[in-house]
Amino acid sequence: MKPVLKKYTLTIVSAVSIAASLLWLFGLGWTLQDQFTANEKFEQPKEKTESATSKNEDGKLTIFALGDSLTRGTGDADGKGYTGYLSDLLKKKSEQDINLFNTAIKGETSRGLLKQIQQSEIQRQAKQADVIVMTIGGNDLFQQGAALESLDMNAINGKKQIYLRNVNNIYKQLRELNQDAVIYHVGLYNPFSNLSDAKTTSSVVRDWNFQTAAAAAEFENIVYVPTFDLFQLQVENYLYSDQFHPNTEGYKLIAERVASLITFEQEEDES
Amino acid sequence: MINLVRNEMLKLLRKKRLYVIILIIAFLVPLFTYAQFKEIQDQREKMGNQDWRTVLQQEITDTQNRLSSSRIQDEWRKYLKIRLSQQQYYLENDIDPRAPGAPTFMRIFVENSIDLLLPLLVMVIVADLVSSEASGGTIKLLLTRPVKRWRILLSKYLAMMLSISFIVLSVAVLSYGISGLVFGYGGWNMPLLTGFAVSGDELLTENVHIVPQWQYILMEFGLVWYVCVIVGTLTFMLSVLLRSTAAVMGIMLASLIAGAILVNMVSSWESAKYFFMVNLNLTNYVSGMATPIEGMSLGFSMAVLAVWGIAGFIIAFVTFSKRDIY
Repeated sequence: MKPVLKKYTLTIVSAVSIAASLLWLFGLGWTLQDQFTANEKFEQPKEKTESATSKNEDGKLTIFALGDSLTRGTGDADGKGYTGYLSDLLKKKSEQDINLFNTAIKGETSRGLLKQIQQSEIQRQAKQADVIVMTIGGNDLFQQGAALESLDMNAINGKKQIYLRNVNNIYKQLRELNQDAVIYHVGLYNPFSNLSDAKTTSSVVRDWNFQTAAAAAEFENIVYVPTFDLFQLQVENYLYSDQFHPNTEGYKLIAERVASLITFEQEEDES
Repeated sequence: MINLVRNEMLKLLRKKRLYVIILIIAFLVPLFTYAQFKEIQDQREKMGNQDWRTVLQQEITDTQNRLSSSRIQDEWRKYLKIRLSQQQYYLENDIDPRAPGAPTFMRIFVENSIDLLLPLLVMVIVADLVSSEASGGTIKLLLTRPVKRWRILLSKYLAMMLSISFIVLSVAVLSYGISGLVFGYGGWNMPLLTGFAVSGDELLTENVHIVPQWQYILMEFGLVWYVCVIVGTLTFMLSVLLRSTAAVMGIMLASLIAGAILVNMVSSWESAKYFFMVNLNLTNYVSGMATPIEGMSLGFSMAVLAVWGIAGFIIAFVTFSKRDIY
């Protein structure tokens, strides 16, 4: 009995193997044909399926964060950054689930951000947001933390003009994408305020912030959130070891400030 | 001839190796399925949102952040850059490359096992095809029959081909069947992009086109089969040359693992691209990944493999027909 069974399996295995060989050979041939002959360029899908563009589709508060390393959370031991603490605080206050989308990139300048918001996925997320938070400009002014040494006023003014133009465009585009969401632009602090030429650097940062706030005021529902005062007195306690980015405590300060603004707006909406 | 092949298949089956291999695959697939499942779950928990676009965008941003770090290796940067532009491309075309489903799992599984796992399994079958006859002494009985030597070897070779096809098929069937329990069996028609070309750290998209996933999978399995046949042929050659199965296994194992390591560090040693073991990752060309060495392409790798395979085949047959058996 047993040899018969064996013969039977032998036939089956062989037949299956032969069929499989042919199948794989066919697949191989298809690969060659597909990869080595020029294919007509496929057309970009005409219209993309705009799924889930409606806001609040799940009843959650959606925070959309964009900008540079501050929004990313560089220097925070937990890697959350102020956006992370902000959503923690809001979750506690509103007892609502929070969706946080962080698209910030370390070292982003205003020019880079302007380019980034041309991407369709970023735009889609901006459309869905209930709250937009951003930081930008630090890299324009400080050039990745290395500059502000020469304190060449002409150069700084030149940079400021470019920056203001970009920020204006960013505001405009965000407003076009999303008319309702309040935009919180978190301002700059002076990380060098305990150094010798603090007076000059502070005045540069103050001026920079003032101009940004003025630009923000041109738009509806764009809130400029100052952080200069938070870091003014005890800057060394709130800075990370790179003496430039905030540490966990510093980020918590920023988060608390933004959080207090957001709850206020929400309550006003509801009343 | 058919009877000879039949005879060889019978011997193969009697050794029960094929069953062992199927068991190994049947054990590994649930392991990877679970890992994949965990990953998806974890992602959902973290993002609090199930839209793949958001997840992919987040990944893109993370990659951009890593790229902006100055302490990153050039090799790695290149890899990240290419993957980044590819992800961007998928996003712009509104295609989710990782929509969960059994076919997707199959694709990812086979892409990850083409360079080591599957060649190893093939090796287990092929390593003692000839050498066991030599060490066991049965080769004398085999060769005293009035059949030409090359026909005997060819029948062994064909049996090897058949069992390789069988192994690849069982990988396909098992990975589909088992992962489908978790991810569902749908997704064969999902569109995927192929035809990416890499030049330096740029991703060229001139020739990119959409293929349905079932065609994509069939193409990848064709490549996997090709790689397995080449690895099988080389093992076969060693099996003819050496009497000891352990030696055959040792050499193949060493070169396969060396290949897996070399791929990660040969980028500046250009002539290393003529080794067969750095060319095993053929599926990477279909999906558009960075090549380990500048100037490698699908055509190049397949040609290199073909040269090694043909050389191995010729050496095996010449030695086998000329050798004195005593």
